[in-house]
Formats: sequence, C-alpha cells, structure tokens
Amino acid sequence: MNQAKIQELFNEPGCATNRAKSDSARKKGCSKALTPGAAAGGCCFDGAKISLQPIVDVVHLVHGPIACEGNSWDGRNSWSTGGDLYRRGFTTDLSNLDIVHGGERKLYKAIRHAVEIHKPPAVLVYQTCVGALIGDDVAGVCKAATERLGTPVIPIDAPGFAGSKSLGARLGGEALLQHVIGTIEPPDPGPTDINLLAEYNVNGELDQIRPLLARIGIRLRTAITGDARYRDIAAAHTARANLVVCSQAFVTLARKMKERWGIPYVEGSFYGISDTSVALRGLVSLLVDRGADLKLAARAEAVIAEEEAKAWKALAPYRARLAGKRVLLYTGGVKSWSVIAALQEIGMEFVGTSVRKSTAEDKERIRSLTGGDAVMIDQLPPREMYRMLRDGEADLLMSGGRTQFVALKARTPWVEINQERHHGYAGYDGMVALVRQIDQALANPIWDQVRRPAPWEG
Amino acid sequence: MPQTADKVKDHISLFKEPEYTEMFSAKKAAFECRPSDEAVAAQAEYSKTWEYREKNFAREVAVINPAKACQPLGAVFAAAGFEETMPYVHGSQGCVAYFRSHLARHFKEASACVSDSMTEDAAVFGGLNNIVEGLQNAHALYKPKMIAMSTTCMAEVIGDDLSAFIAQAKEKGSIPADFPVPFAHTPSFVGSHLTGYDNMIKGILQYFWERESHKNRDPGAKINIVPGFDGYAVANNRELKRILDLMGVEYTLLSDVSEVFDTPTDGRYRMYDGGTALDDTRAAINAKATVALQKYAAEKTLDYCKENGHATASFHYPIGVAGTDTFLMAMSELSGKPIPEALEKERGRLVDAIADSQAWLHGKRVALFGDPDVVYGLTAFLLELGCEPVHCLCTNGSADWEAEMKALLASSPFGAAGQVWRGKDLWHMRSLLFTEPCDLLIGSSYGKYLEKDTGTPLVRVGFPIFDRHHHHRFPTFGYQGGLRVLVSILDRILEVADASSDISYDLTR
Repeated sequence: MNQAKIQELFNEPGCATNRAKSDSARKKGCSKALTPGAAAGGCCFDGAKISLQPIVDVVHLVHGPIACEGNSWDGRNSWSTGGDLYRRGFTTDLSNLDIVHGGERKLYKAIRHAVEIHKPPAVLVYQTCVGALIGDDVAGVCKAATERLGTPVIPIDAPGFAGSKSLGARLGGEALLQHVIGTIEPPDPGPTDINLLAEYNVNGELDQIRPLLARIGIRLRTAITGDARYRDIAAAHTARANLVVCSQAFVTLARKMKERWGIPYVEGSFYGISDTSVALRGLVSLLVDRGADLKLAARAEAVIAEEEAKAWKALAPYRARLAGKRVLLYTGGVKSWSVIAALQEIGMEFVGTSVRKSTAEDKERIRSLTGGDAVMIDQLPPREMYRMLRDGEADLLMSGGRTQFVALKARTPWVEINQERHHGYAGYDGMVALVRQIDQALANPIWDQVRRPAPWEG
Repeated sequence: MPQTADKVKDHISLFKEPEYTEMFSAKKAAFECRPSDEAVAAQAEYSKTWEYREKNFAREVAVINPAKACQPLGAVFAAAGFEETMPYVHGSQGCVAYFRSHLARHFKEASACVSDSMTEDAAVFGGLNNIVEGLQNAHALYKPKMIAMSTTCMAEVIGDDLSAFIAQAKEKGSIPADFPVPFAHTPSFVGSHLTGYDNMIKGILQYFWERESHKNRDPGAKINIVPGFDGYAVANNRELKRILDLMGVEYTLLSDVSEVFDTPTDGRYRMYDGGTALDDTRAAINAKATVALQKYAAEKTLDYCKENGHATASFHYPIGVAGTDTFLMAMSELSGKPIPEALEKERGRLVDAIADSQAWLHGKRVALFGDPDVVYGLTAFLLELGCEPVHCLCTNGSADWEAEMKALLASSPFGAAGQVWRGKDLWHMRSLLFTEPCDLLIGSSYGKYLEKDTGTPLVRVGFPIFDRHHHHRFPTFGYQGGLRVLVSILDRILEVADASSDISYDLTR
C-alpha cells in the first residue's frame, strides 16, 4: 500500500481536527490502532466498496477470495433509478492455485468477460488483502485492460489491511479523482450544475432531494455516488458547486476538486428541516457567487418557505406525543448533529450523542445546539450504553443496526437511522417520515410487554 | 397435440396450450350464454362497492362460503384421539367420506373412520339394524378397543336413539356387553364442528364415569386438559406435553391425536397410534381440575366436569405472550408448580423476536377468520404485535364470543378500528375486504380465493390447510408457537414487500 498516499490523505487541510493537531500527531494519522481481540468495525476495502458501489451502471469486480465480495454483496439499500448492474456480485474468487501462481491472468480474464457480457461504461476493480499480499499488480492489469478492451478499468487500491473503513472511503474518492473525474467533457455544462458528495441514495433519499433542487432550478450533475452513472461522474468537474453531505468520506475529494477545477464546496446535511434549508441556501449562494441568475435565491426562498410550512404542519400532530421524550443518538458524522436539530424542533430531548466519527465542526454544531459538552460521548462501549438504557436514562435509541440489540436487550425502543433503514429520511418529507417511525417505535405495544416482568414474577 | 408421451405437461401448463384456450373460448361463445365481457366486468366492479356490501349484509337466508364445518367432523376428530378407538358415524356413508378426506387432506395422513351406511329403507324403518350389523363388523374387522359413535343428520332427522340401539346391539351379541361404545348425538344442523367435538368428549367421559363405573371419585393431583378442535393438534399437543413436563404438572390430555395423525413411514400401517389411554380416561374423573384450551369447543364438557367436582378453567387458544402467560399462570396455580427457567427464557425469546421485528408489523391492518377461540387468540396476539385487527369474522361464534371479542378490542388502542363479525361468511368477508381493505388476511386455505379476488395477502393459520404441506407439524401454542405464527406473518409481509418493490428490492430487511 502506498504509505505516502495514506499520509497525504490523513493530512487533510480541509479538516479542522487535523489542522488543530501538532506536527507529530498529524504524522501518526487519524486512525486509531485496532485492539486485537476487541470488536472492530469494517475494513478499508469495505469503506471503498460501499462508497463506490452506488455507481449503478459499472461492473464492480472484487479481486480476492470469495468472501470479500460474498459478505459485502448488496449490503446497503442504495437504490437505482436505472439498471441494476451494481447489485451483481463480481469477483475473481481467488483460490489456492491462484495464490501460488498469481491472480493477474485470472483478473484480466474476469475483466474481459465482464466487459464482453455486460458492456459497461467502466469496470471498477477492488484490490483486497490477498491480492495485495501475493503482489498482484492490479493497477497494471487495469491499465492493460483499459488499453486492450477500450473500456475504462479503474483500480481501487484499498486492501482491507491498509486501515479503517473511513480511510477506504477516502481512497475510493482518490481513485475517482485520479481516474474518473474530468475524463469526459459533457456537451451541456450549465450555470447551476452541482454535485452532491457522499450522498449514497440510501432508500431513495435522493428522490427526497432531487425535486427540491429541480424546483429551485439547480441541476444535479451527479451524486457521488448515489444512483450515479459513470459518465456523469466523469463529467463532475464541470459542476459549479459541490455540497459535501458526509464530510468524513469525501471532504478531501471536495477540497481537491476545488484546487483542481475551482469548484467551491459547502458542507451540509439534508437530515432535518432547518438543516435542509441551510444546505439549499448554501448551494444557492455558491452558485450565485459564481454568476448564476439572482432569481435562483428568490425561488429557493419560496420553495423553502412552502416546504417548511408543509413539513411543520405534518409534524404538528406528533409534537404532543413526542415532546419531552429523551433520545440517545449513536451514529456518526453529520447525523450526530443534524438529527439533533431536527428532533429538538419538535420538543424531543437529547441525553447523549456519539461523536466518534464527527469532525471538530460537527462537534461545534452539537455544542451550540445542546448548550455544552454534556451530551457528547466519544466512546460509548456497549456495556455503558446498555446501562444507560436499562436505567431508563433514555426513552429511545437511534442508531445503526449493530447496536439495535443493545437497546432491545435493555428494553428500550429503537429506530434504525443508518444504512439498513427502510425509509428515506432526507429532506422535508424525510423528516416527517423519521418522526413517524419514531412515533411508531415508541407506541408499539410490545414495549409494555418487554418491560413488564413475567406475571409469575409478581 | 399438446400432450405427448415424450413431454407430459401438468395441468398448470397444459390448459394454457392453444388447443385448450381455443376450446374454452369456443365453448364460452357457443354454449355459456354469457352476457358481454363488459357487462360481466361492470357487475364484478359493482360487487366491490359499499352499496353491494349493504345488500350482501342484508342477506338472510343464503350462506356463501361458510367458515365452519359440521358436528360429526368434530366428533370424529375427538374420537380419534383415544387409545385404539374407531370413530363410528351412524348415518350415511357419504358424510363420513367427507370427514375422512377432510382430515386426510389437512394432516396428510390416513384417517380411520367407519359409518353404518344407512340407506333409504333404513331411513324409513330406523337404523337399528345398521347399528347391530355395523358394530359387529367394525369390531371384527378393525379390532378396536373402543368404538366412539356419532351421528349424521340422516339419523338425527328420523330420531334414532343411540343409547337404546347400542344396548340392543349388545343384547344381540354384536359386541361384548362390556365393550366401550360411548356416543354423542351430533346433528350437523345444530352448531358446528366445535359442538360435535364437545359432545363427543362429554359422551366418552359420561360412558366411563357413569355407565361403566357410577362416579367413584377419589380426587387426586392430576389435571385434565381438553385441547379442542385444532388443526395444529399434532404439534400443539406435543408442545403442550413438553411445557407441562417442564413444569412437572401431572396431566391427562382428553383426546390426543398427535400420534394417530402423524404416524411414521417405516413399513408398518398404524390404524391406531397413541391417544389417551382408556384407563387414563377412566381415572380422569379423579382429576382435581379440567381445563379447556378452547372455551367454545368444550362448554358442555366443562359443565359436566364441574358437576363431578372438578375445578375448571378455559382459555382462548393460548397463543402469543399474554395468551401463554395466562395459561401457564393458571396451570401453575392449579398444580402448585412454579414456572421453570426454561419457559421463562422461551418467553423472553418470543418478546425479543417481536421487538426485533416490530417496525414491520406496526399498524398493519389485518382481517381474520376462523373458529371463535382461534380468532380470539390471534386477535390478542395481533394487538401485542402492534398490528390492527380490522375484521374479525367467525361463522360459528356465539353472542358470548362477540361480547368477549369486543372487550378484547376495546382493551388496546390498536383494536380501535376492530369490528367483530359473528355468524358471517367468507362472501361477507369479500365485501369487507373490498370496502375497507386490509394489509393481510389470516385464515384457512379457503382464504386463498379471497386473496386472489381482493389482492389481500393470505397468512394461513387455521383449519383446514389443504394447499400447504406440514404446517400442522409445527406448533402455534405457547411461546414457541407464537414464534411460528409471528414468522408466518412476517414472511408474508416481507414477501409482499419484495414482490411489490422495484428499486427497493433490498437484500437486508
């Protein structure tokens, strides 16, 4: 693995945490060393895979033994409005003899096969630990394949052992920057074109955002990478502004796009009513600064006013039931504050939010929303989370699927807000959907049963 | 020729061949005297309206698609659950062929049962000769230890007196004088299969406790359990025994078909297998209590046991958390035995499973039909899950049942939209599903026509289940059974989600 590249990725001037570090601390990078024997999250390959997998029209080919693809195959509900090629699991399925003789020939044949059968606009080839350990030159094979087959074949050099899932997402972004973005000049660049970075169209959330943009008159060139087409990403450099939805994954990509093509970016979130409005205003102001029609701002204000009113009206009936309910929030990055703001708006209270994957700016937002550091939790081991919930310190846990069971065993309602959720929560409609889910989770009669002792226990 | 020896088509594909489709349309055009397709479609649309629903519910005389069966079916089922007992139906043999096929199609198992094949002259002169000959033949041919006699309508219309006829048959030497022949009058034109079940169990107890031994009661510690007519009896009775064994309760199941309707394929035909031992049935008078798992399938039996000094209790098909809790608590109280840890863990697992899946269940509108206690038990379970029972229909429910159902629905906000339809049939249900649609329909295989017609996905729970195999081999009782019913409901909900998804066709749900 290219250590210099990792160093460079960790030294992100766009990241406030990094800027605040001493030189020696910065050199160490920002991934914490894993503790052998302790539970750990996903690997670098996983990060790269999930951040790029939502590109719907390419072949995603994993160069490794079966399980790397087998276990990550279609793992997240990223939706497509086009084809479903991205949901096919392609892998070279490296086995004993490949590891002895090398897997490069097999990789080349797999690429050729995929190109002949599916005729995709591109093939993304993911390196894994095993391919990297035996020294297969994935970049070389991809280069040769690109030349011989006439289809771009992009190496994603993020083997699992290189580091964390978060690093993997950044490496995925790097690969797009190095091989994809800027390789196609579209015939139709426009003054209000934008990209959404780190928006993955989980449960079709893009369709909660796209209509808003369209009504304002903003054209979405592409999301990187939700519901994306390869050619649109290749033309993403012609956008006039970028909105970074999850700064952890793609802030470096945003900064480099700014440096290389002069595209300004703003960080924002579509989770929550006022956050959605803030994000839309941020985009509009970048576009107007770059010479877009001033009417854009007026249209944006009209859409925002109308949509906010509609959303508040839809939320009103829930306020009576949900006001005063205490929430423990366990998620990462932007959601750690954007969801807070949204739920505070209907009177819910926060007893804690995890900030393990949040940037310094994320944390600052939380501070301003909740009036201090009290609710910020850096590490919340399951045992402590269990204790908090069991002792009744919260009425509801909102988290990803992996902590679901801590809540359930502690007899506390739970709402999924990470990628395995089944409802889109983005934009104004999404907020109403989220509140409806919270209301349903809290009102379900099973919680009475869960909390009641068995009748013979008196 | 669509059908050749080289390539034999099954009927699912055969009748889609052009030869057949042409033949069908030619027949339709030439012989069926049908109104135009437009007129048929318009009438079909009309039959989905509120206006039609009101006419449908004003219907007084015709029953269309009843969700109930007749008394002797229940009596035959009850009789089959005793040691080496031949169910015997006094009346016409056609009825008995129905009972046998009904049970065989549901349990996928041979169902032994005889009739004395009354004919026209028997209807005129009375069925005495049929009983005299019938008992002799059944006894000689099938060598049972007991023959349990019920009746069809034919015998009841002419008023045959079973008690006197059986006595005469014994006098004439058809069967030994001490050979047990309990009986129950089970006219189909009164009640339903549940009434017949109740009558037969009571008849068997009466024979052993009164006719044979004159009520010598010596109260002990055992508890009699009457499971009731239950399509899941094979697995449920085993589950029941497992639970009671775990608790250390001493019990006698009064009618246990779990063996005879689930015999192994090992080269030996068992006409009889398992069942409640006749000696246990004799001794059952000494029980301290008799409990019925289905209140409306054992009302007379419980009254009779009460007369004999037993404490009694009844339940509504214990299913789900609260239903099973109530049952276990009562058994614990009656027996003085505590609830063991193993059951406590099972309970926790069911609660856990419901909590895991609650988001998919919440607010799902459900219509259901079936026997009164099954509908009650399922309704209570649905309320626990956060589903909303909307139409609770029972063709053979009583006024008491209706009142209990209404109280149950009123006990939960999820029951607010619930309506109880007593004495209604599945054609009523069709109107209900069109005018006030639901997300799910729960009921027997007969619900499949409603599923196709109204587009409401069917979860099969009840009797009979003819078109799916082996459901009866898995319990619905107790916490374990609740889990199975929960999974059936969830599977259907998720199948529907998958089938109706295009871009949301998700791997993980």
